[in-house]
Amino acid sequence: MDRISESVVKKDHLPKVSGRSVYVADYPTEGVLFGKLLHGKVARAKVLDVDVPELPEGYFYVDARDVPGDNNVNIVLDDTPVFCRETVEYIGEPIAMLCGPDEKTVERLRDACVVHYEEQEPVLDIRTADHVFFDYHFGHGDVDKAFAEADKVYDEEFETGYQEQAYLEPQGMMAVPEEGGRMFVHGSAQCAYYVHGAVMRVLGCGPAGVHILQDVTGGGFGGKEAFPSILGCQVAVAAHKCGKPVRCVFDRREDMEYTSKRHPSLCRYRVAVKDGRVTAMDIDVKFNAGAYSTLSAVVLQRGIIASPGIYNVPNLRVHGSAVKTNTSPCGAYRGFGAPQTFFAVEMMMDHIARDLGVDSLPFKEAHLVKQGDATSTCGKYHFPVPIPAMIAEVDAECDYRAKRERYARPQTGRYRRGIGMSMYFHGAGFTGSGERDLIKAVAKLRKYADGTVEILASNGEIGQGVRTTFPKIVANELNLPLEKVYYDHPDTARVPDSGPTVASRSLMVVGELLRRAAIKLREQWIDGVEQEVEERFREPDFMIPFYIDKFQGDAYPTYAWAVNAIEVEVDTYTGITKILGAYGSFDVGTPIDYNVVLGQMEGGFLQGIGYASIEKMDYDAKGRIRNNSFSDYLIPTTKDVPNLKCMLHVEKYPDGPYGAKGAGELPLVGAPGAYVEAMEQALGGVRLHHAPFTAEDTLAVIAKEGL
Amino acid sequence: MVNGYAPDSLREALELRAKYDVVPYAGGTDLMVENRPGVTYLFLHKIPELRRITVDENYVRIGAAVTFTEALSDERVPQLMKEAVSRIAAPAIRNAGTFGGNLGNGSAKADSVLIEFVADARLRLVSLNGERIVAVEDFYLGRKKLDLHSDELIAEILLPRTGLERYSYQKVGGRNALAISRVSFAGVFSMENGRITNVAAAFGAVADTVLRYRDIEQMLIGKTFEEAKALKADYLKAYAQRMVLTRGRVSAEYRKNVCMNLLNDFLTKFGI
Repeated sequence: MDRISESVVKKDHLPKVSGRSVYVADYPTEGVLFGKLLHGKVARAKVLDVDVPELPEGYFYVDARDVPGDNNVNIVLDDTPVFCRETVEYIGEPIAMLCGPDEKTVERLRDACVVHYEEQEPVLDIRTADHVFFDYHFGHGDVDKAFAEADKVYDEEFETGYQEQAYLEPQGMMAVPEEGGRMFVHGSAQCAYYVHGAVMRVLGCGPAGVHILQDVTGGGFGGKEAFPSILGCQVAVAAHKCGKPVRCVFDRREDMEYTSKRHPSLCRYRVAVKDGRVTAMDIDVKFNAGAYSTLSAVVLQRGIIASPGIYNVPNLRVHGSAVKTNTSPCGAYRGFGAPQTFFAVEMMMDHIARDLGVDSLPFKEAHLVKQGDATSTCGKYHFPVPIPAMIAEVDAECDYRAKRERYARPQTGRYRRGIGMSMYFHGAGFTGSGERDLIKAVAKLRKYADGTVEILASNGEIGQGVRTTFPKIVANELNLPLEKVYYDHPDTARVPDSGPTVASRSLMVVGELLRRAAIKLREQWIDGVEQEVEERFREPDFMIPFYIDKFQGDAYPTYAWAVNAIEVEVDTYTGITKILGAYGSFDVGTPIDYNVVLGQMEGGFLQGIGYASIEKMDYDAKGRIRNNSFSDYLIPTTKDVPNLKCMLHVEKYPDGPYGAKGAGELPLVGAPGAYVEAMEQALGGVRLHHAPFTAEDTLAVIAKEGL
Repeated sequence: MVNGYAPDSLREALELRAKYDVVPYAGGTDLMVENRPGVTYLFLHKIPELRRITVDENYVRIGAAVTFTEALSDERVPQLMKEAVSRIAAPAIRNAGTFGGNLGNGSAKADSVLIEFVADARLRLVSLNGERIVAVEDFYLGRKKLDLHSDELIAEILLPRTGLERYSYQKVGGRNALAISRVSFAGVFSMENGRITNVAAAFGAVADTVLRYRDIEQMLIGKTFEEAKALKADYLKAYAQRMVLTRGRVSAEYRKNVCMNLLNDFLTKFGI
């Protein structure tokens, strides 16, 4: 293990475990107004009027008319309103915010508001939804010819459901009007500069008119990428009107029901096979975006780029669409579109293999990409693809091949076993040329006269450890003890824009900027003097330019890789599945802190297993999400996967700090493919097409198949 | 601000219970979550009579404020009850949660109550006017519906000392810990002189209250193995017809399917 990988105590460990960390809900309440959102109660309607009760002095009703600038929240497009326009488009859409000094009174006033609707028929089914937010096409080769010449053509559909981020701390933002008219917005968030841009536009002010601080944040997982921009705009407008600080912290039900979740998906794969090999794929990916477009464009891009998996497909046609339904807007969640398509392609490859009379693992191995091969977008895998070695590591850990063969034989009795495997990548950093053209990250180091060094960047600590790993990199280059280098929560008034805390990019992209900045500082170092250095993002020279209009070129500079195996035992009386073991080999390059990375891998893998098995969320015929609490929406605990084994395989990336690549999202992505494949085997070789695959689904298959 | 009384003796508690509109509060694991505004609680944790486990000629008597953790470490508590209690929530909740509270919450999902149903447990209810002993089935009437007068407290659960050795138990939750039962099943079996003397079966979390059908059980009482085997199909059919289950977090069909599988397994396990 490299020295940089040796684990240290995380810098935020003590304040967090001792309860001293101040989250947005912990700021003193004195002088601060409570803000409570009036949410729409129907999925689609014209809002005719709102009867607002008489407000006591010091209480305010804030809606779209109070927005000083533009009533649109800037995310990717600007279609999400701060407060609803003439219509509500999903259950929960914010109509107004009630503000005042006493929480119960604010709630009472909010609940006394009567909204008059002219209801319309909501669109809830993605199969029939006809409003397409985003529509992408790409491919290569001659797909039609390959299908015409195929020995056999396969045509299957795969579906995945919602997944709720279930961060420990619910959404919460607070806005404070400052002297001189500047607005200070702070709270639980991943991307301070996203909130900055959004609030500027809504208040109609320049960059200096607002500043954003990321407070201590109790988890994000993508759920606090875009949503805090919306909530941040709402509290900013409210504080602007009230002339006082306004804080809005969601309760759990509000958070689970109305904030963004993983996009449900429907994927159709048509695959041509000739002489036992896949010759073409014709893939149609459809994501349920919900009522507004928010991040769907970029989620869909990542999803479709991954849609052929890590296999060489000589002829490829991909169509992706994100459609509007009258439901809560979906957004970012660890994996960002890729878990849906990797699930589909892994199942598809498995089904084809079985139809051809071979096991899925050798079939996949025969199609694996390797260094130098073209990517789905005609870019290149510039670096070694370590998947074969990682398969061997997983096989050695759990005896995969032998078990796979054994469990394939007919089983009897109450309990049946199965094992399955998935293999996949996660492209690190923004898709395409986003880092170069959109983000243009800047990071700084400020050295003080006493020799301490402060990191100035905008990436938020959300449990992934950047407050520790960034200083580790800088301290390492400067030969300083770790205590001398620190990284506070970013405030846009003090730090440059090093980009958002998303896309598994912080450590790989910004960490490398900081490493280079530290080298620069080391070269200029003068004792006893305050000094500052700056680094800007440079795209690596080897990149094949990416064109988003054609989906052509290197979508990512490099990839983190993983192989997952999951072994299950199904109780045929109850449908309950016991996970006998979950094994993952993960290549995130050099771990900058072994414990931090291992924690990420274990947590993400478990989250993926939840997505594959028990985390079921759906809306009813009216478009309402019913399971909006932790007793109705279950996520796995350590008791559910006691045998969880994560291994790190290191394939260093020369343009990441010390060889580090993106880590955060990788571990979640492949669990559904491995889990559902294992379930198929335990259930006597049925073909399954959806995740999560629950106990109820299991028992239905057992009843139907007479197992 | 929480309002309430914390009496030191049962007598004092019963006086307060009779005089005021109070909600009895033992471990508080349900009430804390509910956090109803404007409620006055009667805290029962300081009352020695409610915190004891004792044994008499016929019963293991578990005080209403005995916690699940305490019962799990007490060798007098029948193994069947321990199996069910050990699957409740997680250690922190078992440390606080009590038998009386599990009953008082009035849910068909209560894991200890299922065992009380299948074991023919009785409850000792006390008030200033004295006490009454009732069968759990007569007490537990439906969702949040208990035969408990406004001046009464649940004092003890009376579990039979013998006859619970041969059992079948299964909890089906949404995950392995911190999960409310979606289906739960308990069966108790005994034979004497080659004849079935008890074949109790109870189903939890599938309807408004715990289900037990004594008349169907009667089909097998007094029968030999051979006779019972011959009746098994009719017996299962009778259950299948009788059980009208509600949907909850899972469908009614799933629940029915699981109940029938577990019932069948119970008989099979004891040779029928």
